[in-house]
Amino acid sequence: MGGLLTEAFLSSLLTGAIVAAVPILLAGLGEQMSEKAGVLNVGIEGMMLMGAYTGFLAAFQTSSLWLGFLGGILGGLLTALVMAILCVRMGLNQIVIGIGLTLGAEGLTALLHHFQFSRSYPRLPAPERLDIPGLTDLPVIGPSLFARHPIVYFALLAVVVLALLYRRTNLGMTLRAAGERPAALDVAGGNVVGIRLAAVLFTGAMAGLGGAYLANIAAGLFIPFMTGGAGFIGIVLAMLARGRPLWVLIGALIFGAALSLTTALQVAGSTMPTEVIQMLPFAAVMLVLVLFGRRAKLPSALAVSYERGAR
Amino acid sequence: MRNLFFSTALGLALVTSAANAADVDTIAVLTPEQGSDFGWNQQGVDAARAAAAAAGVEIIVAEGLGYGDVRAPMRELAADGADLLIAHASGYNTAGPEIAEETGVPVAIVDSPDALKAGLVADYTLSGHEGAYLAGRLAAKMTTTGTVGIVVSGEPPSWNSQSAGFAAGVRAENPDVNILYSVIGPAAYSDAAGGNRVTTSVIAAGADIIFGQGNGSSFGMIQAVESNQATDGSDVLFIDVIGDKSELDTGHLLTSVVWDMTPVYSAMIEDLKNDTFGTRSYSISLADDSVKLLKTPQVDDEAWNAVMELRDQILSGDITVEAMFDAEDVRAMVTVAE
Repeated sequence: MGGLLTEAFLSSLLTGAIVAAVPILLAGLGEQMSEKAGVLNVGIEGMMLMGAYTGFLAAFQTSSLWLGFLGGILGGLLTALVMAILCVRMGLNQIVIGIGLTLGAEGLTALLHHFQFSRSYPRLPAPERLDIPGLTDLPVIGPSLFARHPIVYFALLAVVVLALLYRRTNLGMTLRAAGERPAALDVAGGNVVGIRLAAVLFTGAMAGLGGAYLANIAAGLFIPFMTGGAGFIGIVLAMLARGRPLWVLIGALIFGAALSLTTALQVAGSTMPTEVIQMLPFAAVMLVLVLFGRRAKLPSALAVSYERGAR
Repeated sequence: MRNLFFSTALGLALVTSAANAADVDTIAVLTPEQGSDFGWNQQGVDAARAAAAAAGVEIIVAEGLGYGDVRAPMRELAADGADLLIAHASGYNTAGPEIAEETGVPVAIVDSPDALKAGLVADYTLSGHEGAYLAGRLAAKMTTTGTVGIVVSGEPPSWNSQSAGFAAGVRAENPDVNILYSVIGPAAYSDAAGGNRVTTSVIAAGADIIFGQGNGSSFGMIQAVESNQATDGSDVLFIDVIGDKSELDTGHLLTSVVWDMTPVYSAMIEDLKNDTFGTRSYSISLADDSVKLLKTPQVDDEAWNAVMELRDQILSGDITVEAMFDAEDVRAMVTVAE
């Protein structure tokens, strides 16, 4: 196997891990805020898919990846708006609505794709990369970590910003209160419904951005059902991260690396059965769940709709 | 007297046979993705339409059904009067025979040669292994890095036999060429991002020609081929299977092992009419051009002519390409790094 452990191959392994981790990271960070505010956003898979479609559509029509990302954010935001109205404003069951949104987004995007792109399968050009001076030339890790599209750095920056938001600001405290003790927040003059609405919309925007990354950077095109459960992995990461954005990042990187490793092992001619190799990423998730799942601390009022005065 | 007896018996047999021959008015084809993917689904739908038109029967196309449970749409199609259900996905192999038993409507399934049941269940395990062998010979002639890659989004028997055929062709042309092999994921047929990620890794490991089998994920593979350069700085080339994506090509499509399933479906309709449906499996081959290589501008005439000569040798029996449907056989043929 050593013959394949070249700089190019290791670099590719790291690149694969980053490419796989970023959409899950964005979705996981979004889900984390929603859960902090007390809304279990099961519809995140659908929001990602809508973001992937609208992101690709915008990028393809305008020939601008940045407008594509904006389109992805808008697509995720609009899907989240449905969730916000039905679950936060009207108090409907969050799990049922979330599943419905995902199924609806799958059907709608597949239908739209069929009418618009299924005869031509247009693809976007290779994305531009932002080189970090002095770091891009480092062997192995340089091209993988420091010559990425700017959206990758944005995702990493979001981890820091959200960590500061949760720990150092009143808004962070308000979010936690909405998820832990919504009635207390209400009594204290806080707007429970407003903060939950904002959190759900933020989740949609992040999931939409993650979907747009998947379509515009990772694949370069839109294919129906292309998120392939990335949103659900994001939910798992958010639940295990105990409210810490850094843990979402670590979880996403572990999953991305495991996914990338499946290719590395096969290309290296491993004699391990393919089925076993391909179980690795999911086995890693299961292992993490077994090791840390019981320690996962979820907000007390998670998935419970808030109605003023209700007991 | 004896002649009279035989004549009567023969006449009775013919009359009985004519009376039993099934009326085929409508056939239906079920596909997991839209029949416009330039690949498995499109070739299946197009071939079913062509076979139906040739036989003068109606066709119902149920496309984009996904890879899950298709029992409900199969029951609906049976109730709508379909006389044959073509379940065009390996994921439908469990539901197909069940629905055939339940409704009495014959079902054709793929990759299940042991599932034949007279009058009810037929199999078409298609393999373009001979075409893939030729593609392997071509790839070994044209690689500049000395490494080629096989990327697949699953390991159904049809694809295993093509992967093995491709590897055999590469080995026959030049045993020193490395063959890298990677499966994107379990049934990752529409995982375009995965196709891109895995293909990028295989290119980074040295491959400059990718033999890709993937349905929707093929588009991710093509994106990776177009976006990356080989380790020696040359352009990466792509070999597709089943369909013809030349109208989408930007100069990276080397060839495609194109399948035409029309003879298969026509034979099914014929067998149904003759009450012999479910008594045999159906296949495609180079001999009737139901398997053929696509000529693209990326193949120079000299290499193409050499490959066509090899094709003639296969048809004459001078070269035998064995169909190997087991994934283990494929893995035994690829390069293991030292």
